Amino acid sequence: MRGPRATVERLDQPSAYFNSRDSWTSQNKRRRFDKDQRDGDDDTNMQAEQPEEDPLKDATTLYVGNLSFYTTEEQVYELFSKCGEIKRLVMGLDRFNKTPCGFCFVEYYTHQDALDCMKYIGGTKLDERVIRTDLDPGFTEGRQYGRGKSGGQVRDEYREDFDEGRGGVGRAVHPPPRTRDYDDEPGRLK
Amino acid sequence: MADYDRRGSGGDSSYNPKKRRYRDDDEHDRRGPRRRFDAPPHVRVRKQLVAIAENAMRPWHEEAQAIATLFTDNWDDELLRANFVDLILQLAVEQPLKTPFTAAVVLVANGARPEVVDLLLGKLAALIEGKIGAGEWREVKLYLKLLACLQGCLEGEGVFPVLEELFARAVDLQTASSEDTVGTEIVKIILLTLPYVMVAAPGQWAQKAADLMEKTEIIASEPHTLQALIEPFQPEAGEESQPQSLIGLLQTQLQSEASNGWALSCLPRPWEFPLEEVEQRSKLDDAAKHALPTITIPQTVIAGPRPLFPEISFSVYANQDVESVPPLTTAAASLIRDALLDTINVLHFNRNITARHLIDLDCYFAPRTFAARATPFDKLRDIEAPKSTWKPEDVAVDAVFSQLFQLPTPEHKLVYYHSVLTEACKLAPAAIAPSLGRAIRHLYRNTTRLDLELASRFMDWFAHHLSNFGFTWKWTEWVDDVYLSDAHPRKAFIAGALDKEIRLSFAQRIKNTLPEPYKELISAEMEKDMPDFKFANDDTPFAAEGREIAGLLKRKAPDEEIDAVIQRIQSQAIDREIDALVASTDVFVTCVLHVGSKSLSHVLAAIERTKDRLADAGAASDAARTQIISATMAYWSAHPGVALSIIEKLLNYSILTPETVINWALVGRAGNSRGEALSIAHVYEMVFNTVIKVTGRVRQLVVKPALLPSSDTDEAETRDREIKSMRALFAAIEDALASWATGSKDEMMEASEGEGDSEGEKLVRMWGERWRRVFRRRAAIEEAFLVEAEKERARKAEEAAQNGEAEAEVVAEGLTQTMDTEGEAVA
Repeated sequence: MRGPRATVERLDQPSAYFNSRDSWTSQNKRRRFDKDQRDGDDDTNMQAEQPEEDPLKDATTLYVGNLSFYTTEEQVYELFSKCGEIKRLVMGLDRFNKTPCGFCFVEYYTHQDALDCMKYIGGTKLDERVIRTDLDPGFTEGRQYGRGKSGGQVRDEYREDFDEGRGGVGRAVHPPPRTRDYDDEPGRLK
Repeated sequence: MADYDRRGSGGDSSYNPKKRRYRDDDEHDRRGPRRRFDAPPHVRVRKQLVAIAENAMRPWHEEAQAIATLFTDNWDDELLRANFVDLILQLAVEQPLKTPFTAAVVLVANGARPEVVDLLLGKLAALIEGKIGAGEWREVKLYLKLLACLQGCLEGEGVFPVLEELFARAVDLQTASSEDTVGTEIVKIILLTLPYVMVAAPGQWAQKAADLMEKTEIIASEPHTLQALIEPFQPEAGEESQPQSLIGLLQTQLQSEASNGWALSCLPRPWEFPLEEVEQRSKLDDAAKHALPTITIPQTVIAGPRPLFPEISFSVYANQDVESVPPLTTAAASLIRDALLDTINVLHFNRNITARHLIDLDCYFAPRTFAARATPFDKLRDIEAPKSTWKPEDVAVDAVFSQLFQLPTPEHKLVYYHSVLTEACKLAPAAIAPSLGRAIRHLYRNTTRLDLELASRFMDWFAHHLSNFGFTWKWTEWVDDVYLSDAHPRKAFIAGALDKEIRLSFAQRIKNTLPEPYKELISAEMEKDMPDFKFANDDTPFAAEGREIAGLLKRKAPDEEIDAVIQRIQSQAIDREIDALVASTDVFVTCVLHVGSKSLSHVLAAIERTKDRLADAGAASDAARTQIISATMAYWSAHPGVALSIIEKLLNYSILTPETVINWALVGRAGNSRGEALSIAHVYEMVFNTVIKVTGRVRQLVVKPALLPSSDTDEAETRDREIKSMRALFAAIEDALASWATGSKDEMMEASEGEGDSEGEKLVRMWGERWRRVFRRRAAIEEAFLVEAEKERARKAEEAAQNGEAEAEVVAEGLTQTMDTEGEAVA
C-alpha cells in the first residue's frame, strides 16, 4: 500500500511507545526493524515483504496524553471535534479518587479523522499544555491502562518537576498532596 | 559495497544502518564517541537532494554542481542510479518549491551522463500521462513544472506539444459546457507552466508562448458561473473592487510579462552559472538534447478525485500604503502563491515542515525578490525604490489565509491550516506574529462584508490560535466596539470569539485576559461549574414535579414512576391552558440535562437511558420536538458549546430531525428576538453543523459503490429519498431566510413603526442576506456534487458494460432511473 518512503517524515505514524509494547512482542522485532529503515538515510529497503497485519491500520481511537488534571471533557471535545465528529470520549480517571489523571481516549468514526488528528492536533496546546496523541487499537471496557500504584499515571510517579496542572510534584517522591477535588475547582465548566 | 553488506562487522569506514539500533536497544552501551564514517554515495546524494536550496549561504550553482558530480562520479553504483531518478520525481510532487533546483542538478548531470535524462524523461512522461488519466491535476501541474525546467535540454519544441494538446482538450470541454471546471483547470496549469519554460530556455520560445496565450485568453477571461457564489466578500452596492478569478488575473499578468521580455524576475535560475565559470557554461550549452517520449492524452479528461471550483484571488494585505506582498499586476503574485499553495497542501502530513518551508520561502525564489526577513512593516517604508518591499512573512501568511478562506472548502480540514499558522508562529514568533496581527485587524475591519461562512471560520481560527499562545491579544484596540449593539457584526465577532475561547479554556481564565469593558460580556453564569436547576426555585412552574423527576432519574427509577409525574404535569398544563406536551417535554428534558450536568459523558449516559421517552416526546408533536432544543439551549445558555454537542447527539439518535433545528433557529429563536438571533455565532454554528451532517450523509450515499448489482435499486431508493429531504431542507432554510433578508417577516413588520429603516432592522436584513448567501452556496455546491457523482457513476457503469459483464446492465438501468427522478426534482 505505502509507496517509497516520503522525503518528509509523516506525523501520522504510531509512536515508538506503541511499537515497543509487550503485548505486541510478536510484531515488535519486525516493526522496530521497519522503523530503523524509516529513520535512517537509507534507501535500500523499500518494504520488500508485507509485515503482519497492522493492528492500527483501521484505528479510529487516539490516546491523548499530557492533559492537565483540570482539563474537562468539554474542552477535549471542542478541540478534537475540529478533526471530525467524536464517537466516544473516555477520560482516564485516577483509580482511587475517580478524578481525571491526565489522559483520555478519543474515538472518531473514521480512521482518516484519527490520522488527521495526529497530524493537526497532536503536539498543539489544549488548556495551555502541549498534548500528545498516539494511535490506539481502541478502548475496551475494563481495560487497565497505564496507571501505577498511586492510582494515577505511572509517569506522575517518576516525575521530579513541579507541574501545577498535574497535581504539583510527582506522587512517588512525596506522599500525594491533598488532592484538589475536581468538583471544587472554581470556574471550570463540567 | 562489500563493507556495506557486512553489517555490524565494524569495518571502519562502513556505513552501518544497525548502529542506531544498538543505541536504541542498549542504553548502557559504553562505547566511546561515535566513529566517523562516510555514508555511501546513494545516502549522501539523497540527503543533499532532499535538503537542496535550504541553506541560503550556499550558491545554487555550486550546490547543483556538487550533487550532480557526486552522482555522476558514482554512476556505477546501481542503487544510486535507480534512486536518483525516483527521488527527483518524488521531490517534484512532495517539495515543489525545490523543483527548479533539482532540475538544475539534472541539467548539470546531463553534461557527464546524458543517459540519466532519458531515464528521467521516460518515467516523467509516463507519470504525466497517468496523472492526466486519473484527473490528478495538481500532480500533472507539478510534473509539468519539472519538465518545463528541463526545456533547455529537450529536443524540438520540448514541452509545447504537450501543452498544446492539453489546451485542445480544454477547448473541447469548454465548448461542451459553460459550467466546465476541468478545462479551466487545464488552462490554469498551462499558464502556470509557461513561465518555467521561459526561464529554463530564455529567449527562444517567445513566439510559441504568445501563440498559446492568444488561445488561452478566451477561456481565461470568461468568469465561471459559480464564481459569484464563492467570492469571499459579499458584494455591496457601489463597491469598487471586483474580485478577480485567479485564471483571469494570471492571463493578464503573463501578457504583461510577455511584453516585458519574460523578465520573470522572481523565479530562480539555478542552472545559470556565473560568467567566470566558462567551462561549466559551455558544458551546459553543449550538453546532449533529448527527445521527450510521447505523452498520450485521453480523448476525454476527467475532474478527478478533488472537486474543482473556480478560484479567486484573496489577500489579507491588499490595499496597504506599502506593498508588503506582490501586487496583483505582477506574475510574481500568482507564481509565488501557486508554489506556496502546492507546498502547503502537499505537505499536510507534516505541518512542521510546511511551516519551515514557509519561513524559508525566500530561499526558493530569485535573490532580492523579498525584503529581509522579519523587517517590521513600518520599516518597509524606508526601503528605497528598486529594492523589494515584499515581506516574506506576509507572503507566507497570506498564502495560508487564502486556503483558510477558500470557498467552498479548502483541500484539507480547516484545522490543518490553523496548525500551520501555529507552527510558523512558533518557529519565528518575532517575524510571524506581527504579520498575523495585521491580518487579524484587516479581517476584523472588514468583517461586515466578509462572507458569513468565512467570518465564522475567522472566529474559530482566531480563538484556536490564541489558545495556543496564552490567549494574549490586544483587546484594548477594539474597546469601543464593546458598546455597539449586539447585532453589529463586529460586536457579534467579539462575543462569538470569546465564547470559543472559553470553550477551549474556562471563563475565569479568559476574563483575566480581557480589559475592563469586556468583562461584562462574561456573565456570572458562565463562571459557574454547573447551570442552576430552575426547578430548585419554587417560583418556577412545575418546580415540585421537576425535582421529583430529577430524583427519579438519579436513582434510575422504573418508567412507570416517571410516567405518573409526567401525567400530572400534563393535566396541570391543560388546566393552565398551555400545551401539555410542550410543558412535560420541557420538564423532562431539563431534568435529564440536570442529571447529566457533570460532564458530557454523564449527559450522554443520561440520554442513552431515556432515549425512548425522549424520542416519544419528540414524535408527539412538532412543538414538543422543538421544545427539546429550547430546553437544551436554555439549560446550557451560558455554555452554548455544550448545548451544541448535546443537540448533535440528539440528531444522531434521530430524537431531533434536521428540520427541527432549522425551525428552532430560523423561525422560533430568530422570531423571538425579532431577527437579532441571526447575529449569534452559535445559532449559525448549530444550523451550519446540521446542514453539513445532512449533506455529508447524502454525499456518502451518492459515492458509495454498489456492492451487488441487485442491491442497487434499494440503494437508489434510499439515495433518492435522502437527496429529496436534503433539497427540502435547503428549501426550508431559504424560505425562512428570505423573509428575514427582505424584512417581510411578521415579527419585523409588527415591530417596525412604519418605515422599517431603523438601524436594528437594517442589521437584521443584512444578517438574513449573509445567512442566505451561505446556504444558497451550500445548496448549489451539493447540486454540483450530485451532477458530478452521477457522471462518475455513469462512467463506471459504462466501463463495466464495456467489460462485457452481464450485471453491468442492471447497474446502468438503476442509473437511468435515478436520473429520471432527479430530473423531476429539479423541474
